[in-house]
Amino acid sequence: MGTLIHLLSVFSQLSILGFGGGKGIIPQMHTDAVTTYRWVSSEQFTQFYTIGKLVPGPTTIFAALIGYAALPQRPLLGAAVATAAMFVPSSLMMIGFDSLEARFAASPWRAIVSRGLAPAIVGLVWSSVSTIARGAPSSVAAYVTSAVVVGLMLRTKINAPLLILLSGGVGVALLR
Amino acid sequence: MPAEARPSLGSIALTFATIAATSFGGGQKASIRRQVLARGWIDSDRFLEGLEIAQVLPGPNLLNLAIYCGQKARGVPGAVAAFAGVSIPPFAIVLAAGALYFKFASNPFVHGGLRGCAAGALGLTLGNALELTWDERKSWLSIALVFATALAVSLLHMPLLPVLAIFGGAGILGEWLRARKRTEA
Repeated sequence: MGTLIHLLSVFSQLSILGFGGGKGIIPQMHTDAVTTYRWVSSEQFTQFYTIGKLVPGPTTIFAALIGYAALPQRPLLGAAVATAAMFVPSSLMMIGFDSLEARFAASPWRAIVSRGLAPAIVGLVWSSVSTIARGAPSSVAAYVTSAVVVGLMLRTKINAPLLILLSGGVGVALLR
Repeated sequence: MPAEARPSLGSIALTFATIAATSFGGGQKASIRRQVLARGWIDSDRFLEGLEIAQVLPGPNLLNLAIYCGQKARGVPGAVAAFAGVSIPPFAIVLAAGALYFKFASNPFVHGGLRGCAAGALGLTLGNALELTWDERKSWLSIALVFATALAVSLLHMPLLPVLAIFGGAGILGEWLRARKRTEA
């Protein structure tokens, strides 16, 4: 019961603070799930995030895997509660905004808020890089793989899940 | 294609479920746009408006945009149908992936593969950070905020709420002053 309440509280707060499509919440999620509650290890956190990027739909669906690991006796319940807490609060805000929409129509505030928040979100993405690196393999082969993926991502149109799978192939060969 | 101005809730859920289940690495906004415009659930101006709101408010853009379109088509029940459509297929898929993970992660080949995938995901995140930083290059204030935020979070372990309040607040203030200067000029 305690764990369920903690899952609800952690992920619903992340949901409400998930500006910029949720790109900025990874460092706080790591603090909560790995450091504070020890639901998962750093390596698991990084691997769950990776699975979140690999499967279709929003990346933050990997909250389900943290819930799954947090409640080993009832993994499905943990996964469902974490996912609902991750997605429902922000969705309610979206639904509620409909009644305010007329007031904000063509308002300059929308552009001001989204452009104004952008630098902080980008900074949080840099911090996510270091968060994810903590649970990623540290070897020359792994660093080269990451660097090649950066290059391919910026220079080609190969889609993200395919790049992850190709890296997985490198891992089977070199990172056992 | 015939316009269905009042689609059934099932058709809303199914449309977004299909998009969510097949949205590998982007392109979802374009496919939502195509589907909802073709079905006449929403017009093009409304869609762009919704896209902007979906990006400003917290939450995954895909989910927010689907909720917006569902709500325009059928009110709150339509929004709930869109929510279910976007969240259920990825939830089922990630659960299946999780079950496999906990069963096989200790196998050395699988473990190696996962470590490789993690190195790939790290590369994608780094590439994303570089791209997003490049987008901010026109303003020194923005670049300073990017790095101040990253240092506050990674070195000082500042929690998310004060980070958004302080660095997000400073960014919003900067944009507001800039917008005011533009209107005065």
